[in-house]
Amino acid sequence: MLPFPRFSFEAPDTVAEAVRLSALPRAMLLSGGTDLLPSVKHRLFQPDVLVSTRRLRELRGVREGADGGLTVGAGMRLSELSRDAQVRLRFPALAAATASVATPTIQRMGTLGGNLMLDTRCMYYNQPAGWRAALGGCLKCEGTVCHVAPKGAGCYAAHSADTVPVLHLLGAVACFATTSGDLRIPVAELYGDDGRTWLNSPPGALLVSVDIPDAKAPIAYRKLRQRGAIDYGLVLTAVTREAEGFRAVISAVGPRPIEVSGATAEALVDAALAVVQPLATHQQAVPWRRKMVKVELRRAIGELG
Amino acid sequence: MTTPTTTPMATTRVAQDLVLELLVNGEPTRRLVPGHRSLLEFLRDELRLTGTKHGCDVGDCGACTVLVDGEPRLSCITLAADCAGTAVETIEGVAVGGVLDPVQAAFDAHVAAQCGYCTPGFVMTLRHLFADNPDATESELRTALGSNICRCTGYVKILTAARDAQRRIQAAR
Repeated sequence: MLPFPRFSFEAPDTVAEAVRLSALPRAMLLSGGTDLLPSVKHRLFQPDVLVSTRRLRELRGVREGADGGLTVGAGMRLSELSRDAQVRLRFPALAAATASVATPTIQRMGTLGGNLMLDTRCMYYNQPAGWRAALGGCLKCEGTVCHVAPKGAGCYAAHSADTVPVLHLLGAVACFATTSGDLRIPVAELYGDDGRTWLNSPPGALLVSVDIPDAKAPIAYRKLRQRGAIDYGLVLTAVTREAEGFRAVISAVGPRPIEVSGATAEALVDAALAVVQPLATHQQAVPWRRKMVKVELRRAIGELG
Repeated sequence: MTTPTTTPMATTRVAQDLVLELLVNGEPTRRLVPGHRSLLEFLRDELRLTGTKHGCDVGDCGACTVLVDGEPRLSCITLAADCAGTAVETIEGVAVGGVLDPVQAAFDAHVAAQCGYCTPGFVMTLRHLFADNPDATESELRTALGSNICRCTGYVKILTAARDAQRRIQAAR
């Protein structure tokens, strides 16, 4: 049994009210809940109040954006997004990445906004409270030592949002509402280098929509995972070929998705191997995951044709 | 007690508890619930609808799958309060007048249950799939079943039953 701790629940009708409530002490925004609520059960978060975004109309729908792009509501369910005709026609890699999340049922519950705001993950962190207590917790939760890199000062919990590598390559911009006004942050600048403070958006900010500019070139997306369903990625790879050469974003290998570029395919692979360093944040062997960065990147380049 | 809400199907704050109004298997239902009550606890412990099973508790296994406004939801990681004003369907609401629906009938015909604990979740997932996509391909069928886990590993019989259920539904059109 993993009962919820006590918290209260609010379901505001307006973005202004949602932002006011989410700025309260120990308040958290709740979207699909597929990652947040298991984590609350594991006592990784102990909110006093959960603020549901379910009734916020501004978070729904897909509409034409500026410059031939699309503006996608953050409350769009992942299954709506991967089946949306405009998304499939104009951003097929985004549709594919969205359809790779967890399971079909979780895609019907989870939202685009929830995926962008997903907590970083680590095998020492995403565990029941009793499991963590046996180890004395970790840097990200309750403890003082990182079990992945005990001599390091930082937290290496892995960014695991499936839609983010593609949105990063597309140059998408996350549009937030806050108590002090609206805020636009490029997805490429939304994440930081420490697994505890990985989000560069201010606390309590409500992700309202994501602006996706018109795609310039095709993108190939690959997700390496243990099983064909449910599992988070072990290596996420998005790659595109532009006039100057290849550009790729690799994720699930640290707190922040990593962008690399290279004039040729081999230069891209070399650039990636120079900066991408998977650590023991997952059960799978680190040398194998490091090798798979190269393999997945080559496969993705091959899929570009 | 607070004054009853004038808006039907609304959630109103009462100290820590909320007035929750929703339809459960077509029955208008009104209860006081705390904000942290899961839909699974609400269905099993308060309404005594124990057909929905309590499995992994964190949204991995699919045993607690119910339909909320026709969409599959993992009730262990859904808050009851977040279902205000919705129509919830559980396994108890599937058979009409004691007559099994095509998915249940196919599971019965193919004995697609060993311990049976995962079965209500599989039935709800397949009911949604065939309502959403009655002509699902074999690949779509297998992908959809990725939402549910059977630890007796009886997947061959479950797949056989699912294909048969699809034929029964197509034949009835």
